[in-house]
Amino acid sequence: MAILRKIKSGVKKMISGSRKSVTAKRAVSSSAGKKNAQKKTKPTADRTAKRAELKQPEQAAKKEFLGVSETAVGRMKFSTPEAVRSASRSMPTELPAAYGRDRLVINPRDPYWIFSYWEVTPGTYDTLRGRLGDDFYKAKKVLRIYDVSNIVFNSHNAHKYFDIEVGPDALNWYIHVQEAGRSWCVDLGLRLPNGEFITILRSNVISTPLDGPSRITDEEWMVPEELFARLYGMGFGFGQSSPVGKTWQERIRRELFSGILSSPGLSSSGSPVKVPQRGKKRKFWMVVNTELILYGATEPDAKVTVQGVPVKLRPDGTFSLRFSLPDGTQVLPVRGVSADGEEERTVTPVVSRETK
Amino acid sequence: MSKGYLCLVLHSHLPFVRHPEHEDFLEEDWLYEAITETYVPLIWMMDGLLRDKVDFRLTMSLTPTLTAMLQDRLLQDRYIKHISGLIELSHKEVERTRWEPQFQKLAIMYLNTFCRARDTFEYYHRDLVNAFRNFQNAGKLEIITCGATHGFFPMMDVVKQSVKAQVKVAVASYEKAFGCKPRGIWLPECGYNPNDDEILREAGIRYFFTDAHGVLHGTPRPKYGVFAPVYCKSGVACFGRDLESSKQVWSSIEGYPGDYYYREFYRDIGFDLDYDYIKDYIHPDGIRINTGIKYYRITGSSDKQPYEPDIAREKAAEHAGNFMFNRQQQVEYLHGIMHKKPLIVSPYDAELYGHWWYEGPMWLDFLMRKVYHDQKSIRMITPSEYLNENPRNQVVTPSMSSWGWKGYSEMWVQGCNDWIYRHLHAASDQMTELSSRHHDSHGIKRRALNQALRELLLAQSSDWAFIMGTGTHVSYAVKRTKEHLLRFGRLYEEIKSNNIDEQWLAEIEQADNIFPEIDYRVHA
Repeated sequence: MAILRKIKSGVKKMISGSRKSVTAKRAVSSSAGKKNAQKKTKPTADRTAKRAELKQPEQAAKKEFLGVSETAVGRMKFSTPEAVRSASRSMPTELPAAYGRDRLVINPRDPYWIFSYWEVTPGTYDTLRGRLGDDFYKAKKVLRIYDVSNIVFNSHNAHKYFDIEVGPDALNWYIHVQEAGRSWCVDLGLRLPNGEFITILRSNVISTPLDGPSRITDEEWMVPEELFARLYGMGFGFGQSSPVGKTWQERIRRELFSGILSSPGLSSSGSPVKVPQRGKKRKFWMVVNTELILYGATEPDAKVTVQGVPVKLRPDGTFSLRFSLPDGTQVLPVRGVSADGEEERTVTPVVSRETK
Repeated sequence: MSKGYLCLVLHSHLPFVRHPEHEDFLEEDWLYEAITETYVPLIWMMDGLLRDKVDFRLTMSLTPTLTAMLQDRLLQDRYIKHISGLIELSHKEVERTRWEPQFQKLAIMYLNTFCRARDTFEYYHRDLVNAFRNFQNAGKLEIITCGATHGFFPMMDVVKQSVKAQVKVAVASYEKAFGCKPRGIWLPECGYNPNDDEILREAGIRYFFTDAHGVLHGTPRPKYGVFAPVYCKSGVACFGRDLESSKQVWSSIEGYPGDYYYREFYRDIGFDLDYDYIKDYIHPDGIRINTGIKYYRITGSSDKQPYEPDIAREKAAEHAGNFMFNRQQQVEYLHGIMHKKPLIVSPYDAELYGHWWYEGPMWLDFLMRKVYHDQKSIRMITPSEYLNENPRNQVVTPSMSSWGWKGYSEMWVQGCNDWIYRHLHAASDQMTELSSRHHDSHGIKRRALNQALRELLLAQSSDWAFIMGTGTHVSYAVKRTKEHLLRFGRLYEEIKSNNIDEQWLAEIEQADNIFPEIDYRVHA
């Protein structure tokens, strides 16, 4: 989390560091305004999801080792500033709030987190209300998470289960599970004051990934532990000196998760997520440069050179040149010759710049 | 005799961004920049290698969305307009910098590069796919496919029909563009979800890639780690990414692109120069953008120094040598403990080369030449060549994984973007319902069904969730997600009620014209 924020603030600084014109500034701030507006229009489910995310323990924060550069470079593809444009469509602009279908979906997010969302139709609530009477209003809405690894789940044979109480208005939840590499099924239900659990919806069954190497070694192919350990270490980029011994599994995991491999390039000035020095050290900055505009007019068919270099005239015989003007003296002989070569004029401005 | 193999993979992808309704659409610049800075330089590199008879191997994904954009007439014409503007600007720059030779030299370099890019673009009849197809036919480049619109498969666990459609539409689009079936696939975001390989097998795909932990955490334990591919139970091969070689290009300590002599990405004249002068070359609304003309090197301090192409070139050669040396060391060491030739798989985002890391294509060029001329221990190979030579591999079920932030799905499912899934999944189910109810349809209904699938696929692009996750361009990503879903929803209702608004259908067919030959029945 922290690292992503770092990238984000880096990018913001980058933008503000390179912003110069008033116009650009206006564009950037109004797109930020749009961002806020967009937030407001998001389904209410978001808020609950965010709350759930805040509750995530350090688990997530530890695993910053993968994909940071990929994220940063992926972002560089989309590095143009945002345009300000209004949506002008006859189409509706909001997605349906509900689809009229009772549904609870779970999807693994990583070895320890499951993303869930649900929709309960008003009809289903009405039925429950009718059945439970007053208890309906006293009941707590809970998610019951069943460990259904390697079984065909029949409601009663789960290895274990645990409950999470969710708010009455929540429409999605991030579920933390203690063990990686297991299969899970979830019920959304009501827990009555007497402790009884009533299922409203049952989810699909999912499997979360392992967070380390499998304990199963192929029967046909014996895998010598030490060989595998070295290969494993090298696979993660530890190189030849990778000191993997008996406790290799924990160790590699610790190293992976403690940042030895993490955040490639975050602190370097050469990384894809570089923060410009100018923005980083001081807030205030100023850049001054000078340019020189040289302009004039002659017969449209005349030939003109500036410092000996031919100049292209506009159809009306006017011309203008623009130069970056460094410190020092510039002598600019402007020579015009008539089309028949009979007449010529030379005018020589001398310009000097000195920066004090 | 070589002691091991090196498989370089470049993943080239951009989401489908095409807005005929606007004359000047900022996000289309993503494509134009990538053409000038990445795709064209890669073509130059491969042209040069072929010309000099350097036997090289490269594996590249060209995603169906990118392929479609490269082959789109409107975008092709707009690119010509874009590059011509840059050429005009660099002419002005050559003049403006007359008294500053250190910058004028660079302005001339850009002028030449842009002119050459336009020539190359025209040479291939404005369709760069022609160039890549040639390199594939020459046996040097292996082009693989990707999900049709880069949908993130691990978040489609409950709607496998959509995974099928992503794969089948991709394969059909590949066949049309390249004249043969794709042998491999780059799973969008490298996102693997167990059993998706069955869908790949049905589509005739022989291999895919995962990040290192996808293979290392597979079941049973992979005997050779990521240094040999494994077979899924379906018989589809899975190649794991080597992180050591990745790190050399990315990392803060060993990463090459951060060298102080390389070109600085953030100092662009689009931001640096006077507004009146630059206004015709940035966005018409006055929004400053990168032009691609950048005069400074990274330098390592805030006092940026002018870029010196000759020194940068030397650095790229040096870094290519260093990369090769490290692969040689790695291969020799691994060969010693594996008692067989290891395979190093090094995948990168193609747009890293040239767009972000300006000298990247040059580095690749040096690397290919050095590997060919200067050493014998490593051999460049493509995945299908490897499988042909090494058909016997261990059977392992890889672990769910991605190459995104934290290695799983969090980049695409977090507080700011998780709201999309209830809508995407609902739309997938509706699409399945439509295709099962309408086995056979004709005329306008068929068109509507096909367009419904196009809209669904476009809504599924992982790029939208990614962009929402990174916090820039959010409004555009939200707009795209909603727009495609809303169009889908309306089509669904109109098809169901048998009341199709033909005029509107024609409008959106024109706007979202990707995959002209799509067949909605693949979503089943």
